Amino acid sequence: MSIPRVLNRKNRILLKELTKTDFKLRYQGSVLGYLWALLRPLMMFAILYIVFAKLLKIGGDIPHYPVYLLCGTTMWSFFTECTMQGIQAIVVRGDLLRKISFPKYIVVVSSTLTAVINMLINLVVIIIFALINGVTPSFSWLLAIPAIIELYLLSLGIAFLLGSINVKYRDITSIWEVLIQALFYAVPIIYPIAMVAETSTIAAKIILLNPIAQAIQDIRFSLITNETVTAWNYMDNHFLVIIPIIFVIAILIIGALIFRRKSKFFAEEV
Amino acid sequence: MKRSLGTRTEINDDGELAISVRNLHKSFKLPTEQSFGLKQAIFNRLRGIKGYREQKVLKGLDFDIKKGEFIGIVGRNGSGKSTLLKILAGIYYPEKGEIVVNGTLVPFIELGVGFNPELTGRENVYMNGALLGFSNEEMDKMYDDIWDFAELKDFQDQKLKNYSSGMQVRLAFSIAIRARGDILLLDEVLAVGDAAFQQKCEKYFEELKTKNQTVILVTHSMDNVRKYCNRAILIEDGKIAKEGNPGKIADAYLKLWS
Repeated sequence: MSIPRVLNRKNRILLKELTKTDFKLRYQGSVLGYLWALLRPLMMFAILYIVFAKLLKIGGDIPHYPVYLLCGTTMWSFFTECTMQGIQAIVVRGDLLRKISFPKYIVVVSSTLTAVINMLINLVVIIIFALINGVTPSFSWLLAIPAIIELYLLSLGIAFLLGSINVKYRDITSIWEVLIQALFYAVPIIYPIAMVAETSTIAAKIILLNPIAQAIQDIRFSLITNETVTAWNYMDNHFLVIIPIIFVIAILIIGALIFRRKSKFFAEEV
Repeated sequence: MKRSLGTRTEINDDGELAISVRNLHKSFKLPTEQSFGLKQAIFNRLRGIKGYREQKVLKGLDFDIKKGEFIGIVGRNGSGKSTLLKILAGIYYPEKGEIVVNGTLVPFIELGVGFNPELTGRENVYMNGALLGFSNEEMDKMYDDIWDFAELKDFQDQKLKNYSSGMQVRLAFSIAIRARGDILLLDEVLAVGDAAFQQKCEKYFEELKTKNQTVILVTHSMDNVRKYCNRAILIEDGKIAKEGNPGKIADAYLKLWS
């Protein structure tokens, strides 16, 4: 499958229209409509902020902690939404697959693009909050872009991999829901990594080598504060940062290959 | 589970054939019990049960369709017509055999694919158009014609769930007939609608025929086979039982029950 064929005119039109429809349908029939794209992560942030920053008094040493927390929760929601929507995409769009012939990856990508749009809207909010909070704008903000792309590619790889298994074994959706809950605590979103490092530096290093943690910490580092502990500045051997990156590339390639092989039978099996 | 596969190739040349099918086989794996889900799959594997039974649907089809032909495919329910159409359309993979499709192919397995009841008529028109390969700009141009033809102009901003099923079909049909392709695949799409709608369909068929459009029509209406087709194929139990003159095939089809 060559690139020009994958992105030919017909496929582009379809991708655009499916994404638009997905986005519209998501907030269909709700009074506040698209505003929910903003309100949901803001509310999640408010809850976490009250519980962790105010009641449990975690994160006191981190500068701009509220925005730091908001940035983490937003990126986490992005990852969750992308993978959940992506894994279910083929099943949700089963009707379409049975009636017309088109490259199946389009439905997976279109379903994750809704999450991308939501994340971008929230990114604007983060930047506004950061400015209010006294973060000075700088060119280092641009460094967040590769880290966001990395997080997206990881989600896409997981969506391709688990989505193609989910067509036959619907248990995958439930398993992933539980797994993602567990993963939430394995990533330093609500707690500062320094808390882990106090008991075990090895554990802290392992946590940072998780690509989700590495990407989110990098995004925080470039957007909020350069006091963020990242995989790069915490490892004695900077070379180790290659591990999460290789992991992301491997998941994406394996996911795409399995998806391509299985997609031939999606129309029959879904 | 490794499956052998046939091939489906798309070409674009000046040859006289639109479609050629050689030794086409297809079977489906039907779950014998509720083998959806991981638990059942593991159990079956442990017990050495297959968990499915193989249903042979197409058992070696050979035929050619020339450019400009209007072909009728007839047969009882379950004889494999729709499976054949879906394989020609590239929705299912052929299990064995070769298919060559010459030119762009537009399938209508069903009218109104992708229609969503929660969206308005307008939004659905653009969505359905995209599935046929039309961009927003192209849809803008034909937008008014679509609604005029469907005679539903007053409803364009209503949600589709507020349309009657007849109205939905009319809208879907008036989008579908805009589609341009070298080969059209029609599966029973016109068996719906009231008398006025049927007349429009007939007019559309006449038009296709005079334009020498290549059409493959799966139908149970022997009137349509006699009226529009140049040739017909009778499929019985996954094989071609008879092929040729539409009148004779229509007679043979009706004799299946006598």
